[in-house]
Amino acid sequence: MSEPSVLERLRLSGSGGAALRVRFIGVLAFQVLLIVVFTALNPRFIGWDNAQSILFTAAILAMAAAGQTLVVLTGNLDLSVGSIMGLCAYVVFDVTSQAPWLAGLTVPFAVALGAVLGLANGLLVTYLKIPSMVATLGTLSVYRGLVSFYANAMEVTSGELPQWMRTLATVRWLGLSSYVWIAVLVVVLVGLALSLLPWGRKLYALGSNARAAYYYGLNENGILVGAYVAAGGIAGFVGLLLGAQVGNINSLLASGIEMQVLAAVVIGGVSIWGGSGSVYGAALGAIVLATINNGLVLLGVQEFYRLLIQGLAIVAAVAVDALVQKRVLTATRRRVILEVAA
Amino acid sequence: MSRVLRSFSAELLLVALIVLAAIWSSQLSPYFLDLNNLMNSAAFFVVFGLMAFGLFPVVVQGEIDISLASTLAVASVLFAKLSVAGVPVLVALPVVLAATALLGAVNGVLVAYAGLPSLAVTLGTLGAYRGVAYLLAGDAGVTGLTPEYTFLGLSWVGVVPSTVVLFLIFAVVIGVLMEATRFGRYSYAIGSNPDASRTAAVPVRQTRVIAYAVAGAAAGLAGFVWVNQYQSARGDNADGAILFVLTAVVLGGVSIKGGSGRALGVLLSTLLLATIQTGMKLANVPGTSQTLVIGLLLIASTGGPQLVTLLRSAFGRVRRTSVSTAGG
Repeated sequence: MSEPSVLERLRLSGSGGAALRVRFIGVLAFQVLLIVVFTALNPRFIGWDNAQSILFTAAILAMAAAGQTLVVLTGNLDLSVGSIMGLCAYVVFDVTSQAPWLAGLTVPFAVALGAVLGLANGLLVTYLKIPSMVATLGTLSVYRGLVSFYANAMEVTSGELPQWMRTLATVRWLGLSSYVWIAVLVVVLVGLALSLLPWGRKLYALGSNARAAYYYGLNENGILVGAYVAAGGIAGFVGLLLGAQVGNINSLLASGIEMQVLAAVVIGGVSIWGGSGSVYGAALGAIVLATINNGLVLLGVQEFYRLLIQGLAIVAAVAVDALVQKRVLTATRRRVILEVAA
Repeated sequence: MSRVLRSFSAELLLVALIVLAAIWSSQLSPYFLDLNNLMNSAAFFVVFGLMAFGLFPVVVQGEIDISLASTLAVASVLFAKLSVAGVPVLVALPVVLAATALLGAVNGVLVAYAGLPSLAVTLGTLGAYRGVAYLLAGDAGVTGLTPEYTFLGLSWVGVVPSTVVLFLIFAVVIGVLMEATRFGRYSYAIGSNPDASRTAAVPVRQTRVIAYAVAGAAAGLAGFVWVNQYQSARGDNADGAILFVLTAVVLGGVSIKGGSGRALGVLLSTLLLATIQTGMKLANVPGTSQTLVIGLLLIASTGGPQLVTLLRSAFGRVRRTSVSTAGG
């Protein structure tokens, strides 16, 4: 039997899709490993109650990460997510406490406010051509400054919120907190939008190769602004949920959460270069982070190990991503060669 | 002459803004222009200024390092620990600076050799180094430093605090490094076009690692100033300072995309931010609202030039001029 030709060998060596699947399975394996290790160290870790507590923590993070995923897929960032959450929660709480007849509109109000803030981000990045990291670092402090100006060092209670919203965090549906189900809904909706809507596919196209997307005739700015508006709207909604859970909030709600959200996205395999990854991966990343937090608390380990482990996990995740990306690139080149040869 | 003026237009704009901010501040309080007050206020910003000058070469190369404040915390805790252990400061200084340069170099190796995105890498080490700082410091932090570790914070060179002198020396060193050495020229080349630089036999990887090591050492030096000024160290030292530091660099006309920016601009923007913050403190503006102004400045300085271009084209000015203002 003769040696396989170069083309045959190329054909045999597989596609890049496999590498991406391995990436997802890798995170899943890491999650299982975490569960095993934490259970071995403290048997109280395993159990329905604790799983519920982990999922509850993960729910908020996963929703925020879903919004962030939309932006990161385009190769950009939204560092202002925590400030949007805090501003929307505070303003909506305050307005409903002063104008109780608006209480029925809390959710649309929060989403709309978040979307407007996201719109500002999007316009800065597209039309003013500010690199997204700088623009959203700026709005991170602008939005936080606005809410602290507005709050004037006061607190606001959730007392005037509609009854269903105040108790939502403690409600259980089918044994799980309502927040978990809402998070599942948000993540699935974003996932469907990404896979079914042309807009979703365009986000990937833009993130993979902005120049190619431009020559293909995609409305680069419109797509990107859309991603920021959607991310802002989701952040507003999540902020409201977080505020309702916390109860009495001040102007610092959710400050610093952007690092956790980015960590969830990156650990979940959404490429920071854009163009690859899924919202389900990001949700898994959120669960991984929540598991680490929960396990370390149960072990009585102090805060700094969490920072250390979380930091190392991010670096490990991007290192794996770099390998995966290399694989996918090679596979794509291979496919192109095969197609040209055929 | 006009060409010289134009090439320094970003710096001239900053000077004008500094003057405006100073006038505004002196309206708020008659004590603002008091020499003692000015110098004490300046000393407060030395820590941030040192980190800004450490970050400057990294950004010129088109990369970012958001872990610097965590590196500062590691350094401040190490200095405090060594002081309590009775190690002479002249031994501790090179040891800790080498350690923080190493922390920076780790970032650099991950970025340059492993090819990882610098934002993600330093987001990771931001957490990891902060964790190390907490780990070393414990919950209570470290106090009871010997006088030789706090001498600098209380001493003056004439009317100028020693820490300010240290900062100015460091700024000049980085300025010379970027203007007059091979490292500087390589940095601008890499920031403009890394692929072309590689083709032109520029040692891209080594140059990147050096920039990150310098940034780490600068954060280490900032940690030294920190213990000198505060006589203690904790794991959460300078948490969140990176916003101010990055704003100072970008506001100084250093493009975040790399390839441009001058040390003079960074110096002036640090001065401007310091003046504005001091003014707001005099006006009793709460700290969180101060970030509003800094954020607006960051956005205005990076988006301003493009906004001018957009407005010009919207109002039918056909003449296409190259707008060169801060951040352009």
